Amino acid sequence: MKASKIAKWFAITAISLGFTATSALADDTLDRGLGSEWSSLDPQVNFDANAGWIMSDVYEGLVTFGPGGVMRPGAAESWDVSADGLTYTFHLRDGAKWSNGDPLVAQDFVNSVQRTLNPDTVSDKGYYFYSVVQVKGAAALANGETTDMSTLGVTAPDDRTLVIEMLTPAPHILEVMGAFQIPPLHTPSYEANGAGVFIDPAKVVSNGAYVIKEVVPQSYVLLERNPTYWDAANVAIPFVKYQVTEDVSTELKRYEAGEIDITYDIPANQIESLRASIPDQVFVYPIIEELYYTFNLTHDVFKDINVRKALSLAIDRELLMNKIVKSGAVATFSYAGGFDPTYDGPLIPGAELTQAEREAMAKDLMAAAGYGPDNPLKINIVTTVSDSRIKMAQGAALMWKKVLGVDATVEPMEVKAWLDSFNAGTWDVFADDLVGDFAGAESFLAYMRPSAESGYNWDKPEYDAQMDVAATKADMPSRNIELAKAEKILLDDVIFAPIAREASHHLVSPHVHGFEPSVAEYNLSQFLTLD
Amino acid sequence: MLRFVGKRLWNGSLTLFALVTLTFFVMRLAPGGPFSRNRKISPEVQANIEAAFHLDEPIWQQFGRFVWGLLHLDLGPSTRFRDYSVGDIIASGLPYSLTIGAWAVLVATLVGIALGIAGAMRRNGFTDYAAGTVGVIGIAIPIFVIGPVLQVVFAVQLHWLPVGGWNDGWRSLVLPVVVLALPNIAYISRLTRASMIETMRENYVRTAVAKGIGPTRTLIGHTLEGALIPVIAYLGPATAAIITGSILIETVFALPGIGRHFVDAALNRDYPLVMGITLLYGALLILFNIVTDLLRAWIDPRLRHAR
Repeated sequence: MKASKIAKWFAITAISLGFTATSALADDTLDRGLGSEWSSLDPQVNFDANAGWIMSDVYEGLVTFGPGGVMRPGAAESWDVSADGLTYTFHLRDGAKWSNGDPLVAQDFVNSVQRTLNPDTVSDKGYYFYSVVQVKGAAALANGETTDMSTLGVTAPDDRTLVIEMLTPAPHILEVMGAFQIPPLHTPSYEANGAGVFIDPAKVVSNGAYVIKEVVPQSYVLLERNPTYWDAANVAIPFVKYQVTEDVSTELKRYEAGEIDITYDIPANQIESLRASIPDQVFVYPIIEELYYTFNLTHDVFKDINVRKALSLAIDRELLMNKIVKSGAVATFSYAGGFDPTYDGPLIPGAELTQAEREAMAKDLMAAAGYGPDNPLKINIVTTVSDSRIKMAQGAALMWKKVLGVDATVEPMEVKAWLDSFNAGTWDVFADDLVGDFAGAESFLAYMRPSAESGYNWDKPEYDAQMDVAATKADMPSRNIELAKAEKILLDDVIFAPIAREASHHLVSPHVHGFEPSVAEYNLSQFLTLD
Repeated sequence: MLRFVGKRLWNGSLTLFALVTLTFFVMRLAPGGPFSRNRKISPEVQANIEAAFHLDEPIWQQFGRFVWGLLHLDLGPSTRFRDYSVGDIIASGLPYSLTIGAWAVLVATLVGIALGIAGAMRRNGFTDYAAGTVGVIGIAIPIFVIGPVLQVVFAVQLHWLPVGGWNDGWRSLVLPVVVLALPNIAYISRLTRASMIETMRENYVRTAVAKGIGPTRTLIGHTLEGALIPVIAYLGPATAAIITGSILIETVFALPGIGRHFVDAALNRDYPLVMGITLLYGALLILFNIVTDLLRAWIDPRLRHAR
């Protein structure tokens, strides 16, 4: 840190103290709570969902997501799919421009994917191109096996045509063609200034509905409407300010004082009272995040499927989520279902019974496994430290105690230790939590492949084989049918107990219009209005 | 004098080095790393990311790299905030923490000493009881209670001041400064009062009064000068603590200082940032202790002669 830099900052601080008096209440600015600080504004590097909201306002991918998260054409106005489902050809809009007036061309998207995959960029987002969908050549580039960018299956035959070739069909590819995964890269400004360009409002060039006007680390990012955006005429709000709102109760007060228009979160213990007092402003809706309790298959007790089944059935999910946790998370009997309305997946065995019947069945299964009042099962539940997660684990432990006489202890850990503990296997029951990459069953089911994640110690070649069958289907309906068969194999083995789909919580000011629940949390500022 | 300062600085750097060494290794004992996650990124990519931050090297080599960087005033990149180096983060957050902290120290010192004098002069009178009550409140009620209460009253209800953030110039400063100053006003006023009462009984003060040089001159020139020594001893470390940013204040008032980073960086296993902030805190604490000693020596001739 240089002395001159500090001096400069002193000067800036002094000036800002003396002269600025901009009010957050100014009605041409939409103030959005961001939660914790953005980890990066580098569009090819950022991997945080909240920073992704800023990225989606500032950059536009090939597709974009309208009100309710409904996919619509973005920088590409249309696309074709080859008969085998392996090649997607995107046609870019005529006359689309960067914020500095340069024409937006297909090569800008090629450059973006190349930069994401280039090991020198140190980005983990290449994952979308070699794992979520398998683009030709992506894995070899990401793993550093080759540096020859011409081997990549993302090409630009002309300025308005972008071709993506895949190794296996992936009808869900459009879900990952948005600004979060494939923001175009304005190569001249990047090459002139390096990665520092993305946080420099004077130099950054973007193609979305907004441009970055000001960046104050740890405080806010101010965006201004981009006049060169192709649909600028339909962007209603002139300014958007994403404010760091790390403390959820302070955020609530800032909302009440009119400083924040859309909050990042709602304090869990306030949801009920706010629902009663300002029901129209409370938005609580399920998102693509699954909460499930995984059983440690390397421990002898859990090698018996009866024990796993009994523990799963003994949890009264409705009671647990609606009366104990009360975070808005929705009880579920499926793992991958409910995110994509076109996917009709199976439920866990026993879901068709009443809770009383399930508990009776659980008792029988536990007795059959040799556990009872004189020989109680003793296990631990490893969970993260947030209030609602701890409540959830304590509730489950209580139900296991009451129904089965199981002695379960709750071990809360901060997130990094919790992640580490999964790999170390120092748990009987792991309070698992998975955020999907897109609103589809495959995102969750692919994660459970024994070949992909060995941490579950689940030896099931049939599951991999069934997922391989699903991967050959190029159309969504027949793919979903095969995926449902795979989910049945997964749920029938009861290697975990699916419990709930996590919810998102926002307070939305009555002055903001157009905010709609979206499972993937897409609420782009360009589709909102302010009065 | 120069020898004294030099010796203190040298001892301070040794303490600082011990501090960062300990922090470096203790931090690595915590489970998980900066890039632990439950995403299926390929092992090669994971290895590449860790190598980019030298996490693949043996820990001694990493420590050597850290010390080498330190000698060049380079604290390295943050593993979480990828757009900034640790130096950038400190340089951007410190001015905010310093601004709030400096105002809080100023307010706490002036108000605290004034209340303390008032209490000592009119012992057991109304002012004394009022100052005592403020003192008890300031010490007893924690920041995370008084902060939200003031927010509700002055921001949510009255709309005089913002709840938080750094969007409204000086108005954003008022509540954090008041809340940060309050417990210190309490300590300083109690310290000043007690010390004043004790000093007023000293022979040299009685002599001054007997010489008939007047109550004001006695107060400022004799009593106060002696009475302030414990207050200054308190102010040194307190100033270091206040100006380096209070984690609670910055969280409750959503301020962009560096205090908040201290906890978050540890939770995110952002090793370089943890090291940078620990180093800064340590250095400031040592520096202010040295300044305090110099000030005390300047005010109290007995300390000067003792050396």
